[in-house]
Amino acid sequence: MPLTAQQWLDKIRALPLPSKVKIMNVCGGHERSITMAGLRTVLPPNIELIPGPGCPVCICPEEDVYAAIQLALREKIILVAFGDMLRVPVNVSKQEPRSLEQAKALGGDIRPLASPLEALQMAKQNPKQTVVFFAAGFETTTAPVAALLAEGVPDNLLILLSGRLTWPAVAMLLDSGQAGFDALIAPGHVATVMGSDEWQFVVEKHHLPAAVAGFTPDSLLAAIYSTLRQLIDNKRFLDNCYPQLVTPSGNVTAKRCLQETMTIEDANWRGVGTIPASGFRLREAKWDARIQLPDYASEKRQRGGEMPPGCDCAKVVLGNIYPNQCRLYGKACTPRTPVGPCMVSEEGACRIWWAGGVRF
Amino acid sequence: MCLGIPMQITEINGFNARCTAKGVDRDISLFMLQHEPIEIGDFVMVHVGYAIEKMTPQEASSTWELFDQLLEAEET
Repeated sequence: MPLTAQQWLDKIRALPLPSKVKIMNVCGGHERSITMAGLRTVLPPNIELIPGPGCPVCICPEEDVYAAIQLALREKIILVAFGDMLRVPVNVSKQEPRSLEQAKALGGDIRPLASPLEALQMAKQNPKQTVVFFAAGFETTTAPVAALLAEGVPDNLLILLSGRLTWPAVAMLLDSGQAGFDALIAPGHVATVMGSDEWQFVVEKHHLPAAVAGFTPDSLLAAIYSTLRQLIDNKRFLDNCYPQLVTPSGNVTAKRCLQETMTIEDANWRGVGTIPASGFRLREAKWDARIQLPDYASEKRQRGGEMPPGCDCAKVVLGNIYPNQCRLYGKACTPRTPVGPCMVSEEGACRIWWAGGVRF
Repeated sequence: MCLGIPMQITEINGFNARCTAKGVDRDISLFMLQHEPIEIGDFVMVHVGYAIEKMTPQEASSTWELFDQLLEAEET
């Protein structure tokens, strides 16, 4: 019989805990469950749960959002993107549209979608028009884009790809020597697709406790318990607290689709800068909106680290501060009037904390 | 957009499937599960319209319970 959340909590409370332990998660879904279930309030106060780089919308480079806006306004195309991407602001002068939503109001044919399958449908229904799918996301979203391409797409469907791998961001934090966390909860659905083995480096190279978690409070608490036990017992191993879906090698077909349609390259993360071997690139020029259409993501716009003025999203994304430590949180920046991407996206830590009732 | 939703398969047509969850029906792709035998009645975890893994009915139901709680927490 698997343990309930309450039983895991009792086991955690019974541990001889160190005075302070900081455990990072790197998944918007994890942060949502932790916040909405109120895990921070029921765990012993010496356990800190810090959200890290877990929001693909938040780290999507500013120049890619800018490029999507320009394509929608200057080229005769239909631009489709995941709904969250439409409200992400870029840094432009006041006269220019600062989001896809504003570009839509100026006449750009911009439509939200919830699945790559809808982009295919759109291309088939509008055979005389070019449809550009602005595909930002981590592995869980990029693998379906790869599957779409592997299955075959019509010539009038182009991809503006902004896909990222999750683990290199954690590797970069750990390699910096200033990671600031003592243990890691690895993302459950990224591991479902890519395999839990990807996260072995955390325990093997950096000797930090790590556990893959699912999204229910009992799975998250099991992972928290596992990492605490590893710290206390001074043992390290990558635990799998989501065995219902996660295997060491992941989804073989998804990985094959990624391999067949994309390569890996160094990539820019908004608020972070360039992370080696962390981005997906399309193998075929015929799919690539960056090649088939004018490229507006010029080098001039690639200002690594740039978030809107006054916004601390960069620090939130890296887990350097908690959302409510940003000066704008809940003041100038709320879900109604978001300043930074972390307040826009459903997976942004600021948005999640606000929705969860954390005010100041 | 990373939210995974468990759904039950009601029809299969090649790599396409009709799925249901809590009275909502959707067409999804089974393309990424072609290495596994999939049957009508199976539960799958769906991400942006693609099934990423098979799951048990128990796991599907505990994930749905979680969603109900999350929605309730956000509404209050």
